[in-house]
Amino acid sequence: MAKRIILDLDLCCGCRSCEAACKAAFKGEARIRHGEITGEAYLPLACKHCKEPLCLAACPVDAITRDEETGLVTRSSFLCIGCKSCVHACPFGVIDAPLVRHVAQKCTLCKDREDGPRCVVACSSGALQFLSEEEIEQYEIGMRMVSKDLFFRRRS
Amino acid sequence: MKKIDPLATTITKTICPLCSFGCEFGVVFDDFGVKGVEYLKDGSSGGRLCPRGSAAAFYLNHPRRLSMPMKNGKAVDWSKVLKELKKVIEKPQNVAITFDRNITLEEYMAIVGFCKAVGIENIASTYFEPETFLKTFLNTPFAIDEINDAEVIIVLGDPFNQAPMSSKELINWKLSNRKNRLVVIDSINTHTAGFASDFLKVVVGTEPLLLFALAQENIGGIDIPATTGVVASVINDISKSFKEAQNGFIFASLPFGHTYDPLLVTEGLSRLSNFSGKKVVPFVEFSGFDGNQHFGSIMNLAKKKKIKHLINFGELFPFYYPQVFKSMKALNIYATSTMKYNGFTTLPVALNLEKAGTVITTFGKKNLSGNIKPASGARTVNEILTLFKEDYAEGAPLKAPKFKINVKERAAKVVEKSKIKKKKIFTLVGEKIAFNFLAFFEDEKVKMNPLDAVELGIKPNDTVSVRSKHRNIDLCAKLTGDVSRGVVAVPAETPAVKGLFDFEIDGVNNTINFIPTKVEIWRKG
Repeated sequence: MAKRIILDLDLCCGCRSCEAACKAAFKGEARIRHGEITGEAYLPLACKHCKEPLCLAACPVDAITRDEETGLVTRSSFLCIGCKSCVHACPFGVIDAPLVRHVAQKCTLCKDREDGPRCVVACSSGALQFLSEEEIEQYEIGMRMVSKDLFFRRRS
Repeated sequence: MKKIDPLATTITKTICPLCSFGCEFGVVFDDFGVKGVEYLKDGSSGGRLCPRGSAAAFYLNHPRRLSMPMKNGKAVDWSKVLKELKKVIEKPQNVAITFDRNITLEEYMAIVGFCKAVGIENIASTYFEPETFLKTFLNTPFAIDEINDAEVIIVLGDPFNQAPMSSKELINWKLSNRKNRLVVIDSINTHTAGFASDFLKVVVGTEPLLLFALAQENIGGIDIPATTGVVASVINDISKSFKEAQNGFIFASLPFGHTYDPLLVTEGLSRLSNFSGKKVVPFVEFSGFDGNQHFGSIMNLAKKKKIKHLINFGELFPFYYPQVFKSMKALNIYATSTMKYNGFTTLPVALNLEKAGTVITTFGKKNLSGNIKPASGARTVNEILTLFKEDYAEGAPLKAPKFKINVKERAAKVVEKSKIKKKKIFTLVGEKIAFNFLAFFEDEKVKMNPLDAVELGIKPNDTVSVRSKHRNIDLCAKLTGDVSRGVVAVPAETPAVKGLFDFEIDGVNNTINFIPTKVEIWRKG
């Protein structure tokens, strides 16, 4: 069953533990990015591992592939030529190409780790969850924010 | 010869020494040193670890880690330094011993015992962070689950960055019942403030006055709403609901250079606690320990040339507070350190992560695991003391002189400072950002109001020069409405940034206070 990283915006405290965990694991090159709507919200942005990934379609050397079974979209660092096509194609802006190595950084959901992605485990407020599609449907993500307390979130 | 297997790794379980929560995590070693951090699901925090915890392990074999004693930037032999130091302590009346936050309770006792055995009488703490004043509230341990029954919680500062592990419980408490009221007091909009039911944005440095107002105390006829910028009806409403609430807490976290008078904040917290019958919970990284005097007395002795040498145990002073050191140039300073710094005589010491021992935290006493051995060349404080003198007994904890607080006088000074406003001069306040821990993941950025930036021609991410009377440094600009006009905020994590801040010596208590500082800012290039 394909699992995805889900963000519960109500719980995110903006401490960037997720980004720190990713940076610590990948030699300072975070694969989770941190968007910020000034004074309103802090948004950890992880790869969605799309069903029809635009980064995959844009890659000129087929360095990005999708595993049909797990739904995992991965990039081969050996094949990547650093053209940044995927960086521009990603609608969520989660792929980054560092200036030093010129090779695009791509979230792998920490497939080297049995307990799931490091960003999810490290999350200090429990805002990041690693859930299957079935679990996502049952999870009341956004419910609190949208329906229960409209004025709960940050006010500038 | 040992074969190197680049893929072989071992995980050593340890306890994070950096805040009260003491999260368990694993340090992953391979044949070349620290490879990374493992988040242990079966650990005390369930694998959760804040940015500081994620960075902590990498200081074990940091490229700048000190492995040999150094004198003015040159490596010297241990025996040579010891010979010099033994000569220094032959005349104990000329020596002051100090210690900063990075020591354990056992090491503190050893230092006190050593001083007694050698005859050194001038002992003080060099832990100058404002949270050191909050240790008076650490008498009764606190469990984070206690907040479940609370109705109102007043938070001073930004505990989500001071101790990010508190965020889960605090947010869940806030979400569990719409009636739960979270009141945040701060001069800048922080992560914690974003979750507040009531965010009381005060004028920079005037937090203590608001605490007195919430305790319904009149201090010398000061118009607190006008000084703090918080409307009187809001103050009265919160004060009333806090007193009437069955359960509640006052959380306090004080960042560096954030308020004009941390001692007055402590007094304000006590008064609010007495008024409401609610407990004060300080979120401190380290509690610090007392000497037999405050550091200002040591500075006075140095000025009068009554002492010639200062030996500091720990790892921060004098590197972290260069402006304090500047005024003590006549002193000959020896300091234990974990990192290489030019100047002074430095002795390599173990990090807290490499020690076994006890530290005092918000949640009571915490034991450091000592599972990781000190890096090559580094020694624990006890080992260093034994090199000086083989036989000495542990000493009893010392008591620093009690604080004398004249509330009216101090409050009037805060009002005076908060009124000083000059054109093109900004007030620099320190803030705590967990992600900027020692600038390991990201350099510090200076936050400024977009309207101020437009006037100065500064765009987002421009390099700006920040100049105080102590030094001038370049920082990246971040434009945000989180800070008011005329105010700039910076995470005070590195010696370069800490060195910008003004400090005052409290004439009555001889404590050192780092305060919001007047700075000039301009766009570079």
